[in-house]
Amino acid sequence: MLTVKRRTIFAYLLPIIVTILLINMTPILYTLYLSFTNNTEFNQEYNFVGLTNFFNLFNSTNSDLFYVLGLTVLYVIICVALFVLIGMVTALALNHPKVKGRAIWMALLLVPWAAPAAITALIWKFLFNYDFGPINQIGRLFFGSHFGVPWLTNPVAAFAAVVIVNVWLSYPFFTVVILGALSSVPQELAEAASVDGANAWQTFWRVKFPLLRPAITPVTILSAITTFQMFTTVYLITAGGPITSADRPGATTFVMIYMYNQVLGASAANIHYGAIASFAITVFIILGALTFLARALGTRRSEARA
Amino acid sequence: MSEHIPGRILKAQSGEAVSVLVTKERVQTQSRAAVLGRRFLSNLPVVLIYAYLVVMTIFALFPMYYVVQASLAGDQNLYSTTLQLLPSHITFANYVYAFTQEPVFNWVINTTIVCGLATLIGVIFSMTGAYALSRFRFRGRELSLSFLLALQAFPGLLAITAYYYLLSYLNLLNTAPLIGLALIYAAGDLVFGTWNIKGYFDTLPVALEQAAMIDGATMWQAFLRITLPLAAPALAASALFMFVGGYTEFALANFVLNANSNGSNLTFILGLNALQGTYITPWGYFAATSVIISIPLMALFLYASRYFQTGLTVGGVKE
Repeated sequence: MLTVKRRTIFAYLLPIIVTILLINMTPILYTLYLSFTNNTEFNQEYNFVGLTNFFNLFNSTNSDLFYVLGLTVLYVIICVALFVLIGMVTALALNHPKVKGRAIWMALLLVPWAAPAAITALIWKFLFNYDFGPINQIGRLFFGSHFGVPWLTNPVAAFAAVVIVNVWLSYPFFTVVILGALSSVPQELAEAASVDGANAWQTFWRVKFPLLRPAITPVTILSAITTFQMFTTVYLITAGGPITSADRPGATTFVMIYMYNQVLGASAANIHYGAIASFAITVFIILGALTFLARALGTRRSEARA
Repeated sequence: MSEHIPGRILKAQSGEAVSVLVTKERVQTQSRAAVLGRRFLSNLPVVLIYAYLVVMTIFALFPMYYVVQASLAGDQNLYSTTLQLLPSHITFANYVYAFTQEPVFNWVINTTIVCGLATLIGVIFSMTGAYALSRFRFRGRELSLSFLLALQAFPGLLAITAYYYLLSYLNLLNTAPLIGLALIYAAGDLVFGTWNIKGYFDTLPVALEQAAMIDGATMWQAFLRITLPLAAPALAASALFMFVGGYTEFALANFVLNANSNGSNLTFILGLNALQGTYITPWGYFAATSVIISIPLMALFLYASRYFQTGLTVGGVKE
């Protein structure tokens, strides 16, 4: 460690302190302040209203909070379950001793990971096009010329579409992590289990899986958090739609998209900045709690291992 | 097939031996079939695995393949309800259109200004901050590190209204929205960059700087001449992460930048998104433009992946 004058320490830290105070902290604190006011687009003379916005958010019958949160949680659960499942199957397939050319398979499977996500989202929107998109065209080869899944206009199909794209985008990461963990599982353990009469299924669940869990848990929590706050990919494909009823947000309106559409959406008239800020603060508290929980779990595990 | 030939020759040579030979042959082929069948069954998992891998590879590559071939097909081929996996004739007309009719070069310049400035500010500020947090001991050091982590949990998107007010207060919204956008990106990058670079500094022995300072170097010189060159992998990895992160950021850019008549003041991703019109999308132009945008970024990513291994894994290790 270097011992220096207090002034020197301050000089080194000054740029980061100024930037963080001005550009990170001011907007956060301002959002917090707005959440306690009744500021709207046309109400410049706004007042401090205490917890009214939060009260409306949680108690009002026309509040979208629980619908949007539920939709987001459903999306997170489905996506993360598929990441783990497909990532695991792919890693096990590549780890099979008779499979050759692992490096080439890996390179090919990792292409979605290297491609810029926002651009691939727009490409997927093209693939999902009802008339001219190749996905429905492939369907027509098998099911006749009248086949067509209304990918972007049916609520269930749109939800499935954004799940497919997110799985396409994210499972390679799980494959890499699980494959790395698998290669550290000694082959003798599986052999010993099979000598003792375990079949392949038992060997996997009882021997390999418990050893893989420390590697899978942190990436699962991490991608649950990133999927929870997913914006760009989903927004560029569906923009939160399709909207099926006037008093409810669209079928893919996850928390971040809801926020964005409230501020910038086509239907946003007399934007209620106070209410939006209280929604943002609520989401931040949920996210902060999740992150804290994940870190607590992470440190407990590493302490247990040490 | 070739196994049958000796039998036929024998059949032609002597008539009486034929029946015996035929039955013998049948026994042999049966057992051979059984062996092959058993081998097939024991290899069945491997065959299935390969089939699975082929399907997953097609799933992984299909969007890219389709867009590349669509960019080479003429526009008219794409307005068809039947599947076409190969362009009937290859033409570069879509690329010519993209370069001549779309403000692609403006998008390149705008995106480079925003991402370059954000990366520059992000790396320079986080390297001095990271140095202080790694090398100096002061009150509130631990707290600052935890604070940075907490800050990272806050998605900038949540404060989007406040960002808008901030930029208009700084008078950047109308005069220099690109610089305003770069500032917001840089502030987000700082948090990640400080942690990552600090982690790497922690792995470098402080004795090197102490030796230099005994030889008469000032602390600033020791930092610039000794620590920074050694931390090059972490700096490069952080810089690339920051650059790539800003390259396709959509939400804030869409909020801050208002398209002019031909969209020449936009970044890449906004321009590309604007091509996907509400009523009709020129798929051929869209495909060509997205290929043009993706190639430099994917090349950068592949080139950078070697740095990521040292620069990010070491930096990511906790103290």
